[in-house]
Amino acid sequence: MAAVLAVFLLYTAVAGHSTPTLTPSQLANHSGQLAVVGVVVAPLHGDSHSAAGLRFGLKNIDGKSGVIPVVYRGENPPPLFKVGRNVVVSGSYAQGRLAGNNVVTKCPSKYTATKTA
Amino acid sequence: MADLGRAALVVSLGLLVYALVGGSVAAVTNRRRLAISARNALFCAFGSTAIASTVLAVALIRHDFSFTYVAAHTNRTLSTPYALSAFWGGQEGSLLLWLLVLTGYGALAVALNRTLLRDLTVWVVPVLAGIGTFFAFVLVAVASPFDTQTAPLDGAGLTPSLQNPYMVAHPPMLYLGYVGLAIPFAFAAGAMLSGRTDERWIVATRRWTLAAWMFLGFGQLLGAHWAYVEVGWGGYYAWDPVENAALMPWLAATAFLHSVMVQERKGMLKVWNMVLVALAFELSIFGTFLTRSGVVNSIHSFAKSPIGSWFLAFVVISSLFSLGLIMWRLPLLKARTKLESALSREAAFLYNNLLLVALCLTILWGVLFPIITQLVKGETRTIGRPYYDFFLRTFGLPLLLLMGIGPLIAWRKTSFRALAKTLAWPGAVTVACGIALIAFGAGSSHPGLIAYTFSAFVLSTIVLEVVRGTRATGSLTALISRNRRRYGGYVVHAAIVLLAIGIAGSSAYGSSTERRLTPGQSVSIAGYTLTLRDIVQRQVPNATETRALLDVKGGWSGTISSGDNQYINPPEPSREVGLKTNWLRAEDLYVIADSVNPKTKVVYVKVLVKPLVNLIWVAGFVFVLGSLIALWPDAREQRRLVTRLAPARAT
Repeated sequence: MAAVLAVFLLYTAVAGHSTPTLTPSQLANHSGQLAVVGVVVAPLHGDSHSAAGLRFGLKNIDGKSGVIPVVYRGENPPPLFKVGRNVVVSGSYAQGRLAGNNVVTKCPSKYTATKTA
Repeated sequence: MADLGRAALVVSLGLLVYALVGGSVAAVTNRRRLAISARNALFCAFGSTAIASTVLAVALIRHDFSFTYVAAHTNRTLSTPYALSAFWGGQEGSLLLWLLVLTGYGALAVALNRTLLRDLTVWVVPVLAGIGTFFAFVLVAVASPFDTQTAPLDGAGLTPSLQNPYMVAHPPMLYLGYVGLAIPFAFAAGAMLSGRTDERWIVATRRWTLAAWMFLGFGQLLGAHWAYVEVGWGGYYAWDPVENAALMPWLAATAFLHSVMVQERKGMLKVWNMVLVALAFELSIFGTFLTRSGVVNSIHSFAKSPIGSWFLAFVVISSLFSLGLIMWRLPLLKARTKLESALSREAAFLYNNLLLVALCLTILWGVLFPIITQLVKGETRTIGRPYYDFFLRTFGLPLLLLMGIGPLIAWRKTSFRALAKTLAWPGAVTVACGIALIAFGAGSSHPGLIAYTFSAFVLSTIVLEVVRGTRATGSLTALISRNRRRYGGYVVHAAIVLLAIGIAGSSAYGSSTERRLTPGQSVSIAGYTLTLRDIVQRQVPNATETRALLDVKGGWSGTISSGDNQYINPPEPSREVGLKTNWLRAEDLYVIADSVNPKTKVVYVKVLVKPLVNLIWVAGFVFVLGSLIALWPDAREQRRLVTRLAPARAT
């Protein structure tokens, strides 16, 4: 069992491909491969299939952050992708800009937060 | 109407609190009339919860938007089945469904066992009532589906991708599974509380566990098929936390269903079985906590909700309760016999259990990893698909092999020579299959080749067993009816083999390509050539449909269309994939059309060929068939049961 546990911890620590998953406000002092959770903000323009890519901004879902610019290249983002939608963008972050290569749009179907007064 | 719903829930809460407190007092002080009264309170709680559920269902069907819940999850354009499916489409409704199923299951399980297992059911009632009290409290005090407002003209509607028949069936199936796991847990707790830790609680709950396991397994496959045909990303399982939340208790329950056979037969693994049944139940609650707390990121919108902390508290309290009970009753949970040989049926079950639990805990670790890294390092880190795929292969492939070996090994002990003799034919078939697979090019993926070869081994052992049995009894139906549990199990094993082949085929041997196309241009993949004929657009009620029409030649000839729908109410898009199945090869040609532009006639097309993927869906039906065979009432078994339980009842 101890051997299994050792393999397990080693794998998750070294080869498990874990990625930092941050919000826009947590990006300071970070660079390299990471994922950013946020809400899409306008302007949204361009084409993910073109060299210039699809351009948009991301800010914290709670609204308490500045906007980080994103250039996304690759397959079209999922159909539900639009301004105001919560997304997770994976890619490379450098010099205050995220070069995205994967977008996951959260399904808005279930278990929304209870409205508070 | 809403007042009636609210009142019915308050009555449910009161009855369940009474069943919890009164039932506990009755069990401790051995007061029979109070125990009967507590039991009746549990039955009545089902009745009042059914009234509350009827109120919500009627409000959904009548589009009564004075109910905040109805306005938030439906609109007037929804047909009745989809309006009704909003019952479990939102948080409050899904919790009400949970309570309805729990009280219904609980009342039935207690009613069926009240005579045969009277000493146990007096303790089962307060345990079930305790679980029910938690859900009823959350529904009354934290997340009521009966909040009202001034009725708007129309509701917000249901996301188009959820307006799919799979979404009508998939969530209730999962709930029947999740909640069903509360029954064996309550009986296990009842057995420990009453000090009657013999095998009777297992015998009494075997079918409940099997049914819950079947619903949970089939519900997951329905969800996977929905994702495959509706979400349109080309896959069926993304290792998302909400998917893992259903898989983990299913794995724990699978381990439990196997290990109880060892306890029934040999009186071993008593502590282990208690741990497994508690683990399966706790994981089912933990999954609910995950999906509602916002503690981890998911494809599914896990908004931070006030009920998350309530669920966390419940998971902690019920886990401590289970752990405390097991520790307290350790002296009563000693095995009657010991493992005599590492080469025996019971040892094979043990290996199977270790692998299943290891896989389950590995997935749990992956789900918890972001939370743990946040706590330890102050930074959330997420583990991706490679982690899960690695451990699925590491634990899943040996499990597959064991599925073939286990049923052929004798109980108590066997020799290598006897085992080799038993496995000679299946082994020869497996080697021949392996050579043929390599000759046909399956060696391009080692995990795929191993999965196929092991699958051939398991199938040949099943065929061998069935042929031997049929020869002995004279007919297949006689064979199955004489031991439904064993042969139902073989059918389920065959389903798992089909699942393994489908997963290996579609993931290890699939191919994909992407291309920008204008009319007349083609893309080729795996023997298919697709040529864009045209891009068309048309208006249908409540949506604008845009489609790329592609002429296909090669493995199949015809036209395939793919594109998107832009709905008017709610104003949401949906991706519409093109799908053509070749049933002879169980293969799908899967087309995703992106940026379909009817003006410029340009489309970005992604084409996937997924060999054997349809075996996954076929496996679902075979799985249900096998489970039903094992579940089917068996008069012979019932007679054995009555004889076996008689001495225990007399004590």
